[in-house]
Amino acid sequence: MVWYGLGDEDYDRKYSDKVLIQRVLPYFNPFKKKLLLVIGCLFCSALLGSLVPFIGDLILNGKDNQTLLIVFLVGLFLLTGLTYILNYVQWSNSSKIIGDLILNLQKDAHKAVLNQDMAFFDKYPVGKLLSRINSDTTSFADMANILMESSSSLLVVIIIFIPMFIFNWKLALIVLASFPLVLITALSFRKAARKRSLQGQQALSNVNAFVNESMSGIQVMKTFRQEKKMYEQFNEVNAQSFRVNLRRALLLNFIFPTLTLIQGIVIAAVAYFGGILSSQNLYLFIQSIWLLFFPLFSISAFWPQFQSGLSAAERLFSLIDAEREVHQTQENICVIQEGAIDIDNLTFGYKENSNIFDTFCLNVKPGESLAIVGHTGAGKSSLAKILGRYYEFQEGTITMDGVDIRDFDLECLRSQIGFIPQTPFLWADTLENNVKYGKLDATKEEVMDALELAGGSDWVEDLPHGLETDVGERGKVLSMGQRQLVAFARILLKDPRIFILDEATASVDPFTETRIQEALEQTLQGRTSIIIAHRLWTVRKVNRIIVLENGKIVEEGNHEELMRQGGKYADLYNTYFKHQSLEYIEEIGKIKTMVE
Amino acid sequence: MTFQGKELEIPPDYYEKGVEFGLEEDPFLRVRKKGSSRWIIKHLFHKSNKFLVIFWLIFMITSTIAFSQLVVMLGDAVDYVITNFGNIFDPSIYKGLIRYVLLILAWGIIRPVLGMVGNFSRELLAQRMERDGRHEFYLNLLGKSQNFHDQQQVGEIMARTADDVRMLNYMVSPALALIGEAIASLVIPIVTIALKYPPQLAIIPTAFLIFLIFYVQKYFKRLGPVTRDLRTNFGEMNSVLNQTLSGIEVVKGLTLEEHETKKYLSKTRAYRDALIRQGIIEAKYLPILMMSLIVVIGLGHGILINLGYIPTSHSLEIGGIIGYVSLLVSLRRPTFISLWTFQVMRYAKSASERLLEMMNEEAEKLDTSRGKSLEIKGKVTFENVSFIYPKSKNAVLKNLNFEVLPGQTVAIVGTTGSGKTTCTKLVSRLYDVTTGEILIDGRSLQEYTLESLRSQISYIEQDVFLYATTIFENISFGRVSSMDEVVKAAKDAQAYDFIMKYPNEFQTKIGEGEDSVQLSGGERQRIAIARAFISNPKILILDDSTSAIDSATEDKIQHAMQKVAEGRTTFIITHRLSQIRWADKILVFKRGEIIAQGTHKELLKTSEEYRKIFLKRFDVPLEVLIKEDA
Repeated sequence: MVWYGLGDEDYDRKYSDKVLIQRVLPYFNPFKKKLLLVIGCLFCSALLGSLVPFIGDLILNGKDNQTLLIVFLVGLFLLTGLTYILNYVQWSNSSKIIGDLILNLQKDAHKAVLNQDMAFFDKYPVGKLLSRINSDTTSFADMANILMESSSSLLVVIIIFIPMFIFNWKLALIVLASFPLVLITALSFRKAARKRSLQGQQALSNVNAFVNESMSGIQVMKTFRQEKKMYEQFNEVNAQSFRVNLRRALLLNFIFPTLTLIQGIVIAAVAYFGGILSSQNLYLFIQSIWLLFFPLFSISAFWPQFQSGLSAAERLFSLIDAEREVHQTQENICVIQEGAIDIDNLTFGYKENSNIFDTFCLNVKPGESLAIVGHTGAGKSSLAKILGRYYEFQEGTITMDGVDIRDFDLECLRSQIGFIPQTPFLWADTLENNVKYGKLDATKEEVMDALELAGGSDWVEDLPHGLETDVGERGKVLSMGQRQLVAFARILLKDPRIFILDEATASVDPFTETRIQEALEQTLQGRTSIIIAHRLWTVRKVNRIIVLENGKIVEEGNHEELMRQGGKYADLYNTYFKHQSLEYIEEIGKIKTMVE
Repeated sequence: MTFQGKELEIPPDYYEKGVEFGLEEDPFLRVRKKGSSRWIIKHLFHKSNKFLVIFWLIFMITSTIAFSQLVVMLGDAVDYVITNFGNIFDPSIYKGLIRYVLLILAWGIIRPVLGMVGNFSRELLAQRMERDGRHEFYLNLLGKSQNFHDQQQVGEIMARTADDVRMLNYMVSPALALIGEAIASLVIPIVTIALKYPPQLAIIPTAFLIFLIFYVQKYFKRLGPVTRDLRTNFGEMNSVLNQTLSGIEVVKGLTLEEHETKKYLSKTRAYRDALIRQGIIEAKYLPILMMSLIVVIGLGHGILINLGYIPTSHSLEIGGIIGYVSLLVSLRRPTFISLWTFQVMRYAKSASERLLEMMNEEAEKLDTSRGKSLEIKGKVTFENVSFIYPKSKNAVLKNLNFEVLPGQTVAIVGTTGSGKTTCTKLVSRLYDVTTGEILIDGRSLQEYTLESLRSQISYIEQDVFLYATTIFENISFGRVSSMDEVVKAAKDAQAYDFIMKYPNEFQTKIGEGEDSVQLSGGERQRIAIARAFISNPKILILDDSTSAIDSATEDKIQHAMQKVAEGRTTFIITHRLSQIRWADKILVFKRGEIIAQGTHKELLKTSEEYRKIFLKRFDVPLEVLIKEDA
């Protein structure tokens, strides 16, 4: 059996019950009045509910007095009407409370997660965060609901007991004696039930994982005719889920019959002792036992859910309380005019004691285009991400136009920087909206212009609905190349002062690439740009190239100068750029003839 | 398709894929078209399930009878105690008391035991419903066309296969079971009342029962739109959040946090509103009021009889009233049960509607009636081929004409979105042409069975998909291959060296997780090439867009591709000039049309578009390019 990661995350913490309650309570604050109303209603209807057998008892004992009888019956009538109204008020209000509670929790969790820096997302997979924000909030709310209901049930138990003790304390004690039995039964199932439930969830998540994989790779499955194999694997996973969940269900099915068994025994005992003690209030007692066991059943039935609600709350607050690493010291409005970047004595590492940069210095002049080249792991992407404040650096200063980047308002700073990551990301939304994410209030014309600038927009017209075409999950309706064009158009629309490009060579055809290059050349005019270069064309055109090695600049200059030096850059050229040159292409012809 | 040596084509009335796997006829095909209720009922009574239903019903009814016996016994016992007030310790009377107590105890034990047996068969039924529903749904998904799958979000499919199918389980257990129990514990007490007490006492509870039946129908209808909204909203919440988190880097880069939170909140608000709407519908549940009222009325009725105001054939003692009222009170539980079980039933119906909606979409129906299993040599001809995606108006491919000889390598180039990939997908019939014809070895594609066609064509896609299993499995891909074969394929694909660098070598797992490795684009591509060596196709289609990070990798991929293309008809969709330059034939695509075709040398002379790439990219005069080639 495959167990999918169910362990704790690094940001998980254990809250003591006290702390947990302190964290939970503020969420109920906005609903104080409603909550009081709900509890009031619950209490009143419990009180009224327990009056019913009592009055019934009175009626039966005093049935010969007619006026009294009519008064009692009418009273009972009114009582039930009142109970219904109370029930309505309580139910509709508690569903409002629950609905708003979920909403507020989800809002807080969502905000907290989006405010995390990239280091956080590097560590924790989307699927798990997703289930915390969406599912844990709902199971927490379930718990709140159960809490309200079972507190009222508990109230009922207490209220029922009072008259029982008044009328016949001996019989009441006999009934009370059954309570530990009920509790022990319910609790003894708890551990096994939780274990089986967990296994059930795991089996279902196996199904989920399997469906995810086989559906993502459906095309491979079809072209390689793997349907039968997939089908067989599915049957295994499905059968496992069947077995595990059946075992769980069978176990849980012992609880209720066991409880009803206890109920039966208690009733027999009451009938016996009631007979012996010649109780006049036997009716009251027997009615009360039915009423008593109802809340007891529901409390013990919901116990596992209650537990999982508590742990959901814990998981949720761990997420909300997770510390972020990127801290801004001030929130100045960021207006970058010149685009000068100064990096002074920068020290940075993703983990302690393994620094990528150590006292790193770099000046970028306003309007300069700078290419960074170097082997994998030299720190190229890290540098780009530090500038965009995706990660916190440990020491040194970075200034833009002379102002420390930690002093800017974070959003304001990012709005001035155009960052294009290596892999383009698209939302399952229309093409138009996907471009508009660069500038939310852009017009259709602006969108078309940006697309036109980003390598031409002919292809847009060929889509089934042009700009209105839904591009599908992650843009899967579009080809990889088209997705890159959209990401590029987005940044053009954003029109930032500083460009940071993690250049992706892949996926764009040579035609389009030539057009993008022309567009880039125009756009970058007069703007500061830092390009992690993979294209031969880029290194030939930029003002300055820096060669990074282990977080240090080992060479700098333009393409011709560096080639002439014949140092590290010349090596890198042979490793990374040569295959894009004409000489190389002609050489391949020789390989081909060799193979043949 | 062949199954157990027999040539088998899939008739439309079967599981689209099931027959191929040796299953019998699809028993649910017709009922799927008839709506969710019919479909659910068919599942409930499918094969041995019906015995479980009967078994469960029997035990449920007997345990409810046991329960009302218990209640009646109690009433009798109370009567007995009251009539024998004061002399309870008289041996004969005491004996009578003991008899009552033992009877109560017996029913108190028999009832849960019977209930438990019933519950077991019910649980088995519930789990089977989930298993079989999921089986049917997944089988259906396997039979859907590529076009269908292109339009789906995997998250949505997952939600349906896992959560919606589970609703079938909840529907049986506890919902349907509780409804059964509720019906039994509504009817049996009433029957008991009619038999044991003055029959007129049954009037009030019967009226209540009729009221309940009508009310529940209305309630069920009222809940319909709300539960549908809840399920759809939850799905949307999931997919919005999923996307935000997957694209978090972009969200931050474009400072869209607030926008994304707003978007998410609009979905959660809709969810909250639906939740409240549901709460209010439940809060208004009238039977709860009626239930309490009939207890009061019943009590009054009983007293009136007892006092002789209403004439009856039977007399009614205090104990009788207690027994009667207890039976009325016992209607309380089924009433409460009906409140939320019908809500669960409604969820199950909404979920089934979502399942059926997807299953009833058209399955992959390719005409293979003329199909034969034929060996392919590798000549491919496109004759006036045009293609329009279903549900779309714009032609993606217009009037394509070209011919490729066996063993040739064809490079397909063109602007992004010009139809290159779609063109190659037509060859293996992932989609069928709209007009025109594609011929292989001079025969129309329809003359091949799907099996013989696809088994001789290999396709290496743009973003290579690998399964989260070992490298060995990913290369051998289900075909029984010895380690030697896999090693040879890996070597030919230039993948051997990097595979051997991992400690587990060919047994290294791919994917996320502690003991798994993540492969780079170039490495994934070479695994896919190795896969193609094993399947040894006559026609190979390479959708090659992976970037080589460095010249050394590029070199390796070049070698691998040269080798794998040897002796096969090869289509390469490529951005690599090194491949375009050396192909036997180049097709230049623009907006769904072939605007030029020929060799590199020819195209440099004839095609302006083609010339542009080379001149612009390399800053070399045209004469030099042509001369060098000459």
